[in-house]
Amino acid sequence: MSVLTGKRSWLRTALASPAIGRLGVIAAGLLIWEGLARTVLDPEFVSPPTRILQALVTRTLADPTVLRAIGTTFWELLLAFALAVLAGTAVGVLVGAGERISRTAYPLVLMLYAVPQVTVLPLFVMFFGLGPASKVAFGFTHGIFPIMVNVIAGMRDVSPLFLRSARSMGASRMQVLRHVVLPHLVPSFFAGMRLSVAMTLLGVILAELYASIDGVGYFAHLYSESFDPAPLYALIVVLALMAVLLNELARRAELRFTWRRR
Amino acid sequence: MPTQRTAVSSQLAEVADPWPAHGGEPETAILCVEELRKNALSNSRDASRAGDAAIGIRGVSKSFGDDGDDGRLPALQAIDLEIRRNEFVCLLGPSGCGKSTLLNIIGGLLKPSTGEVFVNGRRVVGPLPRDIAFVFQEDTLLPWYTIAQNMHVALEFQGVPREERPERVRAALEAVGMSEFARYYPHQLSVGMKQRIAMSRGLSLQTDIVLMDEPFAALDEQTRMVLGEDLSGLLEQTHKTIVFVTHSLAEAVFLSDRIFVFTARPARLKSIVTVDEPHPRRPDFMTSDKFNGLRNRLYGLLREEIREAVRQNV
Ligand SMILES: Nc1ncnc2c1ncn2[C@@H]1O[C@H](COP(=O)(O)OP(=O)(O)OP(=O)(O)O)[C@@H](O)[C@H]1O
Ligand SMILES: [Mg+2]
Repeated sequence: MSVLTGKRSWLRTALASPAIGRLGVIAAGLLIWEGLARTVLDPEFVSPPTRILQALVTRTLADPTVLRAIGTTFWELLLAFALAVLAGTAVGVLVGAGERISRTAYPLVLMLYAVPQVTVLPLFVMFFGLGPASKVAFGFTHGIFPIMVNVIAGMRDVSPLFLRSARSMGASRMQVLRHVVLPHLVPSFFAGMRLSVAMTLLGVILAELYASIDGVGYFAHLYSESFDPAPLYALIVVLALMAVLLNELARRAELRFTWRRR
Repeated sequence: MPTQRTAVSSQLAEVADPWPAHGGEPETAILCVEELRKNALSNSRDASRAGDAAIGIRGVSKSFGDDGDDGRLPALQAIDLEIRRNEFVCLLGPSGCGKSTLLNIIGGLLKPSTGEVFVNGRRVVGPLPRDIAFVFQEDTLLPWYTIAQNMHVALEFQGVPREERPERVRAALEAVGMSEFARYYPHQLSVGMKQRIAMSRGLSLQTDIVLMDEPFAALDEQTRMVLGEDLSGLLEQTHKTIVFVTHSLAEAVFLSDRIFVFTARPARLKSIVTVDEPHPRRPDFMTSDKFNGLRNRLYGLLREEIREAVRQNV
C-alpha cells in the first residue's frame, strides 16, 4: 500500500516537474514537425528532424570545410562578445559616473540602440572587408549596447542612501566605486551580458549572410540558394548551440558573482 | 547648479561639496578625500565664538529649491543652538519639520542656505568622518557584504589602517552582543538586529560625535525600549556627544540630557527641556513621576505644532 502510493506520488512528482514538462513539450513539437514534414510539407523547404540530425552528422560535422567555417564563426562571435563586454562596461561606467555626461550621452545611447544597425551593414563590409573583421565589428556593435545600457541604468539607480552613508564615513571615489557602485551593478551587468550574447550572434550572422567568403553564414547562404534544407537546418542547430553555450557561460558567471544568491 | 539631477548624485545635489566621484560639474574642483578632510574643518576666524561646545549652530536657515523659485520650501529658519561635549540631546518636532535636514547640515552632508555650523570650534564645510559618525533611519548596510565586511568597509572608508580593522570589528560586534552574526548577510537579520549593527558601526568609528536620525523608528516598541537601554549603557562608557532625532516622547525623555523642541516647518527652536537624571538610566525611571511630568510637558509643547504640521500636509 505505502509502496504503491509512494510510486504513484513519485510518478506524479516527475510529471509535475517543470523540467520533465519542458522536455515533453519539446518532444511533442519534434514529433509533430516530423509527421508534418514527412507528409504534407514541401521537402524543398522543410526537413524532418531525423533528416536534419542525419545531415548534421554526415554532412555538417563530417565536412572539414564546414567544420572550419563553424570554428571561424565561433571565434568571431567569441571575440566580438569579449570586446563588447569590456568596452560596454568601461563606457557604461564612465558615462554613468558623471552627472552631466550621463544626462547628455544616455539618451544618445538609447537612440542609437533603437536604430536597426543592419542599415549600415554595407558600410561595415566596405570598411572591414569580406573577411572576419567585418563580422567581429558588426557583432561588437550589436553586443555592446545591451551591456552599456544596463550598466548606465545600473549606475543611475545606485541607492542615494548608500552614497550618502559612504560619504559620511569619508569614502573616496575609488572606494565608493569598488564597494558600493560595482557590487550594485552586478545583477544588471549580467542581465545585459545575456542579452548581449544573443545580439552579438545576430550581428555576426547578419554580416556573414550579407557578404562573406567563410563562416556559417556563407554555407547557410549556399544551402538556401540550392534548396538543400537539411544541412541548412543542421547549421541553424549549430548556431543555436553556440548561443546556448555562451548564454550558459554567462549564467554560470552570474551565479558565481551575484550577491543576491548568497 | 542644475535644478534637476538624474544621475547617481541626484540626492546629493544639495550637499556642501560636490561628491568627488559623481559631482559631475566640470567647473567645480574635484576634491580627493584627503583634501576634503583638511578643508572640512577650516580654521575660521569665527572659531572663538564657538567656545567649548562640541557643536555650535549659528543662524542656520535652509530652503530647498532654487532662489526666486515659487516652489521654494523653507525647512529651517534661523536656528541657534549649542550642544555641549558628552551631552545627549534629542531633536523633537512634528514630522517633516526639518530635523533630518538639520542633522545633515551638522554632519556636513548638506549646505545651509545661511548661517554656520561649528564642530569642535571649527567651521563645517563638508563631511567630517573623523569627528562625526551617522546612524541613519533607513537600512544603510550594504546587502552584498556580510555584517563583518560591512563594519570592515566602514573603517576602510574612514581610513583606519588595515591591521587594526579586524580587532575593531570584533570588539564592536561584541559590544552589542552580535558576534555570532558576523558572517550573516543583512537580509538574514531582523530589522532590530540590523539597526543594532548600524548603531555599533556608528560607534565603532570612534568619533566624538554621533548623529542618529530616528535609528529606532522602524522597530517595534519592545525592541526600541531594549535598544534604548543598551544605548544608554553603551554611551556611559564611551563619552560621546550624541544628537538623536526621534518622534517618541518617551524615548526622548529616557535618553536625553536636553531636548530641543522645534516648531512645524519651517523649523524654529521652540523650547529646550532639560532632563536632570544621571546615566545609565534604569527602566524604573520610565515609571517615575518626573518622567511622566517631562513627557507631558513635551506633549504640551508639541501639540499645536503637530496640528500645524498635519494642516500643512493636507
Ligand atoms: N532634498 C530635498 N529637496 C527638497 N525638499 C526636501 C529635501 N529634503 C527634505 N525636503 C523637505 O524639507 C522638509 C523637512 O524635511 P526633513 O526630512 O528634514 O524633515 P524631518 O523633520 O526629518 O521629517 P521626518 O520626521 O518625517 O523624518 C520636508 O518638507 C521635506 O519634504
Ligand atoms: Mg527625518
